[in-house]
This record gives sequence, structure tokens and C-alpha cells, in this order.
Amino acid sequence: MTLFDIAKKNVRGNLRSYLIYFVSMIFSVIVYYTFVSLQYSEEIQGSLQSSEVMRSVFMGASIVLILFVSVFILYSNSFFTKKRKKEVGLYSLLGIRKKTIGRMLFYENLIMGTAGLAAGVALGTLLSKLFTMIFLKLLDSAIEVSFGIAWEAIVNTTLVFAVIILFTSFRAYRLIYRFKLIELFQADKEGEQAPKASLAAAVIAVILLSGSYWLAFQPMVTSQQMGRNFLLFIGGMIVGTYLLFRFAIGRLLRASQANKSRYYKGMKIVDTSQLLFRITGNTRTLTMIALLSAVTLSAAGVGYSMYYSNQQNADEAAPFSYSFISTGGSLDQQAERIITEDAKHPVMAQMDIPVIVIKGDVSALSYVPSGFPADELPLKLISARAYNKASGALNRKENVGLSGNQAAAIRSRYSGDLTLSDYKGHSISLITPQEKRTVTFVSLLEENVLRWSYPDVSIVVSDSVFNEIARHISPVIYKVYKVEDQQTTKEVTNQLTKMAAEDVQMSSYYTVYREGLENAGLNIFILGFLGLVFLAATGSIIYFKQLTEAHADKARYDILRKIGVSRKEVRASVAKQTFFVFALPLAVGIGHSSMILKALTSINLIVGSVAVPIITSMAVYVVIYLAYYMLTVHSVNKIVNN
Amino acid sequence: MIQPVVEAKQVNKVYGGKGNVYTALDQIDLTVQEGEFVGIMGPSGSGKSTLLNMLATIDQPTSGDIVIAGTSILKMNEEQLSIFRRDRLGFIFQDFNLLDTLTVRENILLPLALAKMNIHELERRVDEIADKFGIRQILDKYPTHISGGQKQRTAASRAIVSKPSLILADEPTGALDSKSATDLLESLRDLNEQDKSTILMVTHDAFAASYCKRVLFIKDGRMFTELVKGHANRKEFFNKVLDVLSVLGGGISDVI
Repeated sequence: MTLFDIAKKNVRGNLRSYLIYFVSMIFSVIVYYTFVSLQYSEEIQGSLQSSEVMRSVFMGASIVLILFVSVFILYSNSFFTKKRKKEVGLYSLLGIRKKTIGRMLFYENLIMGTAGLAAGVALGTLLSKLFTMIFLKLLDSAIEVSFGIAWEAIVNTTLVFAVIILFTSFRAYRLIYRFKLIELFQADKEGEQAPKASLAAAVIAVILLSGSYWLAFQPMVTSQQMGRNFLLFIGGMIVGTYLLFRFAIGRLLRASQANKSRYYKGMKIVDTSQLLFRITGNTRTLTMIALLSAVTLSAAGVGYSMYYSNQQNADEAAPFSYSFISTGGSLDQQAERIITEDAKHPVMAQMDIPVIVIKGDVSALSYVPSGFPADELPLKLISARAYNKASGALNRKENVGLSGNQAAAIRSRYSGDLTLSDYKGHSISLITPQEKRTVTFVSLLEENVLRWSYPDVSIVVSDSVFNEIARHISPVIYKVYKVEDQQTTKEVTNQLTKMAAEDVQMSSYYTVYREGLENAGLNIFILGFLGLVFLAATGSIIYFKQLTEAHADKARYDILRKIGVSRKEVRASVAKQTFFVFALPLAVGIGHSSMILKALTSINLIVGSVAVPIITSMAVYVVIYLAYYMLTVHSVNKIVNN
Repeated sequence: MIQPVVEAKQVNKVYGGKGNVYTALDQIDLTVQEGEFVGIMGPSGSGKSTLLNMLATIDQPTSGDIVIAGTSILKMNEEQLSIFRRDRLGFIFQDFNLLDTLTVRENILLPLALAKMNIHELERRVDEIADKFGIRQILDKYPTHISGGQKQRTAASRAIVSKPSLILADEPTGALDSKSATDLLESLRDLNEQDKSTILMVTHDAFAASYCKRVLFIKDGRMFTELVKGHANRKEFFNKVLDVLSVLGGGISDVI
């Protein structure tokens, strides 16, 4: 029997105990392969017009995945190794040469890795079709997905994993050299002692976490502020979380032991002391899971809210279906003919909006778009009559009545935190060649009627002021159209874009909507995909960790059963302890992600109505997490309660 | 009148089936009266541990009946058995079976906590027992930080803290040096003589058996013979036990 045979037999004979490592190996391969094969799939490349952007986004995401997958495999590999230290020690004790043991472990790892790779690619091929279909569905694209094997993806995946497998195999080979024989036999006893719960560290944890939570509520306007605050915010969160699990939780458990009459009641004494014993060894796992959950929840929240609010964004950025600046010539008529002849999208409303483009001194206002001087800011003036008419054409209720030097501000996009009091009573001067005309704000309008362009400062003035200024600066005419079913005007939009010159600012709702959808679809897909990966990983990490601990706990539960604890009580105890281990990082993760999302909202990375998508993604997360919890309780119970 | 604490009638235990039957216990009858200190001896594989496990309610006989403290344990369900073990039985095992996540104090009071006893009574009992076994100064240590003898005294404290009807000891001196073993056995004897505790001890060791008032010998799943100490002193009884063991054979002599 050669060494290779022994290694092969080892894997086959112990497949059950190897399963944990094997499954995480397959999982990693599936995830990576699926993602890479999407990257190479023709359907996806073709269906996105901006495939250059997509490729780079995919590239970035696959780098994140490689990092993640390597860490995950190394993690489960060291888990696996820890479980087998005793076995390796025994081989050595029985007199097998170190070199022989090392080679045996090397082969074993190689076999498992290769098998995992093959299985992962096979399963991944099936799954990648499913994911491609989901992706295209998100993009509103009705393209058929063919079932194919992406050779580039297989080569790519094989290369990446060959490196990882060789690395772990080499580590396995080195195992017997890295440890003394006695250390191999004591592997089980590592990291199992009641923690020293330093009060100071617990207090620091609370201070760091509340400090970074507080930062999330601070305004971040300049990019300098943003950089500094985010650095402090994330740093405080990571360190705070670690200290929280390392010291504060132990402290709390210790405190709960102080009430003897409650502590010495039923299984509580066992539950609490076991958790306390495990908390030191679990600190890193719990921290990692809390932070991964936070990242996953934030990512899913951002992705989904972008997708969810795409229509709202498009409505804001392009209130009318089509809009362009009149040139007074044949172009106007040609465009009008194209728009009105489109039978599938009948015109519901059309009008001309006269707009005066002027510079103004807005030093008195609190919001000035960055990159522009406050005393010479480009403004767009609209008359109250035109605004009301446009508002009517868009079926909106918002109206304005102005007289004399009264003016109304239209809310700029991404300035959601400004209120009427930031404008009311403040004056600005409009600079005409002849004079400086001062107008005073009386109200703030929520919705613009012009398409969005930066700097987005539109002001409604009374008809008399508008006409007066119009004598010095002639208004440009925005020709706007509202059509039915404006999300599907691809052909007309293409024709108009081809025909229009640069200076007419031809814009259509479709373009904005479609661009948003592509970005949001890509985002939700990538973020959702990464989110699922992280979720599966966090779930698996706790699951495997709990299972490993269950094997160590089995003896304890046997003792308890002998001194009169019923199976039912053991089950309840398992459920309670597992709940603690699951719920704690989840609660911290949800707390963290709420703060991250809050911070992202204050820098306008998330806009629009976010409550629904964020709550939805959290709910989905919690449900999947719950399934992991129940699976874990079931498996652990099966181990300790038999 | 003295009540029998344990009554095992015609107990059989058969393992396996279909052509590969192994009889671990064959028609065993056993009665232990209240206040007795009974030893069970026999070579490895004689079935003494099987018998103890059945009395401990963690294993069931194939046929026969076992009555402990007036209750037939074969008619109880899992839940009732757990409560029965908790309230009526105390265990001392060869490998101590202490929970390493609990301090010595917590290990001792565990059965009382499980029974949800009032905190004052609970603490009073722990103190009383800790004094009896001389482990008061190690109450707040963890089992990994105390010696084997201290561990076994802790286990013995846990076994008697709930004032069980029957204390079952499975090779309690097996992992102890002779000094610790003697200390433990003397504690058990005191417990039996002063507190009238009923103790059933399975052992390999003639020295340990000599502390009992009565020793039963099992061979190949059957009751072999019985020795009663009567008015003999421990030394004399020890020699008697050795005599029986030499007749019994079966690899037990090498232990002595």
C-alpha cells in the first residue's frame, strides 16, 4: 500500500468528519465560479450597453471575492486541522516519520481540494444559469439565456483555486513540523477558560461604539470631513465591536451570575457558565460575523434602495419625457414630428417653459453647490405662471403664488436636509447687465419642472420680475413633452439623440431611467450576490463552529444527563446557548448597518425613500439567518442529545 | 422496619440479536436495604457496570424488574427518569464527571439548582458538605486547577448534596492515588455510618471493597457469591475478599 493509498483511504474513511471542510471548499468554488462565468457570459456582456464599466465593476467584485474565498478556505482549513491534531500526533507517536505524515497530509488536502474544485465547477455551471436569468430579469431584459459551459471561467477558477489548494496543502504538510507532539495532543484544550473581564476595556468598547454611532449623525459636507469621519466611524466600529465581544459581553455574563437566586436556578447556571467559557475563544468569530452582517446588510440595503428608487430618481432628474432647448428652426418641428408620430407613446402634455439663465449672488443662503462662487452662481429663473402650468401638466399639486420681489426656491437634488427656514426671509441678488435685482424667498418648492443639471439651482420669481429681467436677458425656451409609457421610448429617444446638436440639451426620461436601471441592476446584482455569499459564509462559520463545540460539549451533556437533566432540558439549553451566539452578532450587525446606512444617507449615496427596501433586505437577511439557527440547533442537539 | 432501597428481580440483559447474542446479565437478583454499604466486584466484562447502569436508570434491562425506593423505574418515561435521577440518585464516577466550566461550588450545588431549591437552603447545604469533605478552601476554584483527590471529593459532595435515597459509585477510587483513595473511602464510610446513607459501589479493588459491609461477586453475568463483613474488622474482611477473588479468577488477581 503506497502513501497515496493511505491518504486516499483517510479521506474516504473519514468523509463524515471531512465533510465540513469539503462543503466549505465546494461552496467557495461555486461562488467564485458562478461569478466569474457571469463575467464571461455573452448574454450579460451584450445586454449592457456600458460593458466597459461593467467589466471593471465585475473585476473589482471578483477581487473582493478572491480575497474573501481565500480567507474563508484558510479559516475552515485551520478549523479542520485543529480537529485533526490529535490524529496526527498519534501517527507520530506510532513511529511514522514526520516526512511521511507530512506527505500524507499533503496528498489528502490535494485530493480533497481537487474533488471540491471539480464538484464546485459542476454545480456552479448549473447555478450560473440561474443567476444569469435573475440578473437579466432585474434589467428588464427579455433575452433567452443559453446553457453553456464557459471555458474561460473554468480556467480562471481552476487557476485561482490551484494556488489556494497548493497553499493549504503545503500548510498541511508543514503541520507536523510546526507543532511539538505534546501540543498536538492538547489541541482540544486551547482557548477554553473563563475570561478576565476587564472593566476598563468594557467601558472603552461602549465609548467607542457610541462615539462612532454619534459620528453617523454628524453632518458631513466637505470631502475632508467625509474622509475623516468615515475613517473614525469605521475604525471605532471595528475596534469597539472586538472589545465588546472580548470584554463587555463577558462582563455582562459575569454580572448576571451575581444574582445568585436567579443564577442558581435550573439550567441557567450551566448555560451562563458555558457561554462565559466560550466567549474568549469565540471573540474573533463573533466580531467577524457582526461586521460581515453589517457589511452585508448595508450592501443589500444600498443596492436594493438604488434599484427601488430608480424610478423616483428618474422622475426627479427628468420630470418630462422629453426636453430640449428650442432653436426656433426646423429642428423643433422635426423633433415634434418624431415625438407626436410615435403611436405607442401618445403625447399627454406639451409646453414651452421660458427660462432665464442668469448669475446671482447667493451669499445669504446656507447651501451653495460646491465648485461655484457664492457671489456669481449660475441660476435658472422660471416665472410663477410657467411653473404652475408645468406643474399642472405633470399632474402635480404643487403651486406657487408670488408678487413683486417675492421668490420661491426649488429644492436642489441631494439637499434633502434643508428646510424652509434655510430660505425664508433670505435675499439674493440677480445680476443683470444693468443692475442687481434683489428678490426675497417666501417659500420652498419640492419638485423641479426642469431636467436636472449641475449646479441645480432653479428659482421661481413673480411674473413681473421675470418679464422685467427678460427685457435685458432673453429667455431660452425649453420645449417639454410628457408621453404615456415613458419608460419604453427607446426608438424615439435614439432618433432624437442622433438628430440633436450638443447645445440643445436633448434629454429624455428613457435615457435617465435606463441608465439608472442598468447601474442599479448591476449594483443590486453584485451587492446582492456578495451579500448572499457573505450571509452563507457567516451562517456556515457559526454553524461549523457550533458543531465543533458540540463535539467538545458532548461529554458535558452526558454528565448532565446522568445527574438528572432530561433530554428536553438539554434541548432547551442548546437552543438558548445557540440563540445567544446567533442573536448577539446579528443584533450588533443590524445596529451597525443602520448607522452605516445613516452615514451613507448623509453623504447622499442613498437618496429617495429607503425605508421599504432597507427593511425588506433586513427581513430577508433575518429569515435566512433564522433558518441557519434552526439548522444549527437541530444538528447540535443531535450530537449532544443522543 | 428496614425498607429495601433497591430491589432487582430476575434482571436479564442481552445484547445483539440473530445468531450473535451476548448475555451480559443473567437472572440477577439484588436487594439493598436502607443504610447498607454494598460493594459489587467482578472481573472485566462480568457485567457489573451494566448492572450499575441499569440501577442508575441510564440503561434498561431486557427483562426483569428494578424497584428503587418503592418505584419501578421501568414504567417511567424519559422525563420522569430524569427527575428521578436528579432527586433520588447520587453518582460518583471513576473519571469524576465534573463540569469544567463550573467552579467546585457550582458543581456541588448543580443538582440543587436543577431542582430549583431555595437559595438559602442551597447555600447552607453546600457549606455543610464542603466542611464534611474538607474542600471549603477550594470552593471557588475550577476543576482543572485541583487535584484528583479533590475532584473526587467534589464529585462525592455533588452526589450526596440532594440527600438521595441511593448513592451509586462506579470505581470511585480508580483514578486516585492510595492516600486520596483512602480519604475518599473513609468519607464514604462515615457517610454510611453517621448519615445512614445507602451506598452501592462497583469496584475492582479489594482494598476499596473492604470498606463495604457486604460485597457481591459477579462472574459472567451471574451472581457468583456474597460476603458479609459482620463483626470482622476491615483487615480480616480484606483477606476474605482476596480469597474469593482468587477463586473467581478471570484476570482480577493482576490488579491486586
